[in-house]
Amino acid sequence: MLLSALGAIYPPARILTSRAELAPYECDALTSFRASPRAVVLAESTDEVVETVRACHRLGVPYVARGSGTSLSGGSLPIEEGIVIALNRLNRILELDPEQRTAVVEPGAINSQVSAAAAPHNLFYAPDPSSQSICSIGGNLAFNAGGAHCLKHGMTSSSVLGAKVVLPDGELVELGGESIEPVGPDWMGLFVGSEGMFGIALEITLRLMPSADRTRTVLSAYESLEAAGNAAAKVVAAGLLPVAMEIMDKLAIEAAEGSVKPGYPEGIEALMIVELEGDHETVDREFEQLLEVLEGAGATEVREPDDDAQRALYWEGRKSAFSAVGWLSPDYIVQDGVVPRTRLGEALAEIGRLSEEHGIRVANVFHAGDGNLHPLILFKGSEEGALERAEELAGEILRMCIRLGGSVTGEHGIAMEKRAFLPEMFGEEDIEMMRRLWRAVDPAQIANRGKMFLPEEELERDEAADPDAAPSSAAVAGTAGPPPGGASSGEARRDTR
Amino acid sequence: MSLPVPIVLRRFTVSLPVLHEIKIHQHEPQAEEMAAAIEQCIHCGFCLPTCPTHVVLGEEMDSPRGRIFLMKEVLEGNMEVEEAAPFIDCCVGCDACVTACPSGVRYDELIVPYRAHAEERRERDWRDRLLRRLIAETLPYPRRFRVAARLGRLARPLRRLAPGRAGAMLDLLPETLPRARPLPELQPADGERRARVALLAGCAQQVLAPEINSATLRVLARNGVEVVVPREQGCCGALDLHSGASARAKAHARRNFRAFPDDVDAVVTNAAGCGSGVREYGLLFKGSAEEGQARELAERTVDVSVFLDELGLKPPPPLPEPLELAYQDACHLAHAQGVRSAPRALLAAIPNVNLLEPDDWELCCGSAGTYNIEKPDVADELGRRKAEALLATGAEAVATGNIGCLTQIEAHLRALGRELPVVHTLQVLDRAYEQASGSPRAASP
Amino acid sequence: MSVRLRPDAVEEAQEALRGHERVLPRGAGTKPALSSPPDGTVTLDVSGLTGIEEYDPEELTFTARAGTSLGEIEAALAENGQYLPFDPPLVAAGATLGGAVAAGTSGPLRYRSGGVRDFILGVRFLDGEGRLVRAGGRVVKNAAGFDLSKLMVGSAGRLGVMVELSFKVFPQPQAWATLTVDCAGLDDALALMGALATAPLDLEALDLEPPGRLWLRLAGLADAMPARLERLEGILERSGERLEGEEEGALWREVRDFAWVAEDAAIVKVALVPKRVPELEAKLEPLAVKRRYGAGANIAWLAWPGERPAQELDELLRSLGLAGVFLTGSPPKPMVGTHRGGAFAQRVKSALDPSGRFPDV
Repeated sequence: MLLSALGAIYPPARILTSRAELAPYECDALTSFRASPRAVVLAESTDEVVETVRACHRLGVPYVARGSGTSLSGGSLPIEEGIVIALNRLNRILELDPEQRTAVVEPGAINSQVSAAAAPHNLFYAPDPSSQSICSIGGNLAFNAGGAHCLKHGMTSSSVLGAKVVLPDGELVELGGESIEPVGPDWMGLFVGSEGMFGIALEITLRLMPSADRTRTVLSAYESLEAAGNAAAKVVAAGLLPVAMEIMDKLAIEAAEGSVKPGYPEGIEALMIVELEGDHETVDREFEQLLEVLEGAGATEVREPDDDAQRALYWEGRKSAFSAVGWLSPDYIVQDGVVPRTRLGEALAEIGRLSEEHGIRVANVFHAGDGNLHPLILFKGSEEGALERAEELAGEILRMCIRLGGSVTGEHGIAMEKRAFLPEMFGEEDIEMMRRLWRAVDPAQIANRGKMFLPEEELERDEAADPDAAPSSAAVAGTAGPPPGGASSGEARRDTR
Repeated sequence: MSLPVPIVLRRFTVSLPVLHEIKIHQHEPQAEEMAAAIEQCIHCGFCLPTCPTHVVLGEEMDSPRGRIFLMKEVLEGNMEVEEAAPFIDCCVGCDACVTACPSGVRYDELIVPYRAHAEERRERDWRDRLLRRLIAETLPYPRRFRVAARLGRLARPLRRLAPGRAGAMLDLLPETLPRARPLPELQPADGERRARVALLAGCAQQVLAPEINSATLRVLARNGVEVVVPREQGCCGALDLHSGASARAKAHARRNFRAFPDDVDAVVTNAAGCGSGVREYGLLFKGSAEEGQARELAERTVDVSVFLDELGLKPPPPLPEPLELAYQDACHLAHAQGVRSAPRALLAAIPNVNLLEPDDWELCCGSAGTYNIEKPDVADELGRRKAEALLATGAEAVATGNIGCLTQIEAHLRALGRELPVVHTLQVLDRAYEQASGSPRAASP
Repeated sequence: MSVRLRPDAVEEAQEALRGHERVLPRGAGTKPALSSPPDGTVTLDVSGLTGIEEYDPEELTFTARAGTSLGEIEAALAENGQYLPFDPPLVAAGATLGGAVAAGTSGPLRYRSGGVRDFILGVRFLDGEGRLVRAGGRVVKNAAGFDLSKLMVGSAGRLGVMVELSFKVFPQPQAWATLTVDCAGLDDALALMGALATAPLDLEALDLEPPGRLWLRLAGLADAMPARLERLEGILERSGERLEGEEEGALWREVRDFAWVAEDAAIVKVALVPKRVPELEAKLEPLAVKRRYGAGANIAWLAWPGERPAQELDELLRSLGLAGVFLTGSPPKPMVGTHRGGAFAQRVKSALDPSGRFPDV
């Protein structure tokens, strides 16, 4: 049924069903979950996507739309009994209007390619997740991606003006528009960050920003991570509005030096990269002020890159840090939590304490300007129980974020990874409201089913099984040990090997 | 009332997909390297934008991280070699992913031994076998290749009858073959001798562009370098190595162990593919008695651009006319050997050369050894993109460090109706030196 | 009747909401087109839910109850050298924070800094069943759960009753300066705006007063201002009238608070982009409708004459495919023109307000 329906939409070469074709789609950048879809279709037109969604709806087949598969929360993890709609080939920039500062793109368009296309007009696309060289705009939209420079320019939702969307039942709607200022309820704003559960954005209107007249970057070194965190708070409090403010600790610096070799100062405990942007008259003056604040905040060294190439290298070191940690440790957990920025120093000290208490190394690399922490918890998966201990520490860090009044995710999203944490951050009514919204938009529950919440029927089953107790981890994560041929109830299996 | 959603605090980003179950001891000695590469990949996707097949095909299984996944499945015994083969075969072997990888995954140390592993377990159909045999038996042997190329040119009128890949092979043949130029066994240094090297002459290069070797010898001589060209040397074996024919590759390598003398400062190569091939000898012979010999030769083999840059280039005079020159990174130089700055430094040393950089330098031109014969569609698309990127620089000529790229780029510039000269880095230097001295020998770019 | 329709506490608001079949919330009532209840609908006056609950100047965020007046918030922020960069209108008239969100109104400064939608961090609101729901958070970055805070922006009391809101703020610039430039006409002005769109100028505001007057506002360090103004004039290739100091501030406050709109005219916000301005101008010019374009002509503010029916504007905007909303006046329905959202909007509305207690969007 499914395959013949797909066969009516796609030529055979664009329907992948063999094991070798499907296996590489089994996970995204969150590799602790794997699921094998029934098929992957390679869409080359928006009509094909719409037809595919309609077929899925008709047949009750769940689907996940996938761009480049760089989600760190399992956002593009396939659904066992469902299909993957691969959007990589829908990657055109359809329109670029410099005078309106807008671009219209297909969902598979690559983030950095939008900026590249806008550059000749002295414009750029602001959100810059570290994976910007490959992540797709559709994925950015679904997860409201952030990045180092969203401190000033906002998250993806501030840069998405409108979209043509296919809802989970195949109905087409238009949300938002071209204007930076919407009229009426901000439907587009609600759609952004809905993790693929409200449908697929097919044509996306993006806001572009004029490139700055001048950019100045300064790298400062500190004797402790806490000191760096406090320096970040001081920069914010001083009324400076940097476009980016990033901190890396000793381990993260070591990892970067092992990988892209940015040439950061040696023998330091932490560094902070602060970038100012604007017209040169202002930036040059603010830069002096920034240097004063940094020196007053205990920076042991302050360094401005010699040229654009060195600045790019400083940034490359920062942006590759997650992956580069592979140089330090065979395995690690990437965390993403937010704390109020005035409590950064406190949060970092607490992470240090927890790390010591658990005897587990934690590397820190994060967006200090907005209090968005990314602790990287290092462990050796081959050691008995090491993963569990690392996860316990990760959980404690997230709970600390909630306790300090923050969030369990700043930019990676909930999806698979933080499903269990949503109820720690929100109350019952809050979650129930989100679920009601989900049911209303996708009554059949086929769009990226299983992300953010458990599907309804599983909830009911779990509650029926034991109405008073929280279900066992196996119900959520699949059974431990080597995955069975097909995990029950369509849940992704945990890759525990 | 219990919360509607279970609280289970056990779901995090564990960045290691490929916690492999490869039984290292059951495999070839290279299994350790293969397992290490698989283990180090965290599936972040940073390799995708520089992978030529992913850029053209937009499919996960035609990407480095996808192929790593597939190779893992095969090595673990969960998947048949034949199932994964189409996607492994599609890899151009450019190593751009190695450059791009922030985690330091040595994809090159996975795919090359894997191909040998897989080749032993594959059943290819007769046409496949014939074509592979044809390539393996001609390209590495200059005399055979010369004859084959002539025959191929005669066969051009039959182009339409030739199936895809054989047809592609015919298309790549030049209109005319240059006359064979035998190389001297010893080229003395001009003036004071600063160094003595042995030249790995390259096989296809000797047929398609013998002037590259001549230019190399002259430039080395001018820089006070004495060059021996061992008669006994053969193909470096890279073609066989990269297509999984490790036994044939080893045979080529052994011949070279014997051929290259010890009393030289270095073995220099001027074809990126050959240089990277020799540098892989260590892994090829891993665990065998010849490993030491292999590593030793690999370690003293160096691209001619690096050798000259480290030796200190004698300042070249200007070219007769200023030249807008685009430098095209050969993958087997830039990615496989990490050589990017040396050739640029040499070219920039010519006073009136303005060096231009094309966009997407990381992307392969589609030549990649015999890839343009085996996967002509993908190779054509890559060639077209590369030619367009080079034209967009506004260059008057293109310099590169590999005969394969040179042929491919020439063909695609021609297809776009823009026949810019495409030359080897050393040919540009040669021209500067020779024009100044009034010598007529230098090829004109 | 025991149920108070002007609650002082959230629980009272919940009770009030649940006690009536048809409800429309209202803050200070400065945007009566949005807060005037249709027949058979009661007004839930939330102007009693006031007070700044949390404000940490070093954090640059605050949380306040929805009925808190913007004047109170601006004053508290100003004491610490901070401000609301989305520049909400009608502050002097007494507009509330919840009202600004519900109406989705941002002022001239939104051109550079962003609108209400870009500064809102979190919300607590009552849905159509009176359930208290929290979404978003109090920190400046947060990707947990559906972004219901953004949905509240422009929801006009039709999707929920906001009771508490969290926002981020910015430090106030040291100095402001304005340049007004007269162009030869609309085409000339739009061409100039096109050139400005890609110039690295950091204009805080860019307003067009048709046919050809441009208002450009700069902010930042006082020392840098003269050089920046000079550079701006250089790019414009014409000199304009410079304005600084108290006079400059007053000028923009008048713009933001619609001092230029006649007493009997209704304020209407229309979303568009600069390239649509000529079409709209062609329709409005003959009607003698006073108007002004804000945010680099991404918003058209119209003073719709009291004697003209709202229906006429509705049709006019529909013919252009533009969306508008009446803030003042008494139109039968505040939303005019072509609105998007379709089935998505209906489904979301049905989830938030299943029994239709609030008016249709």
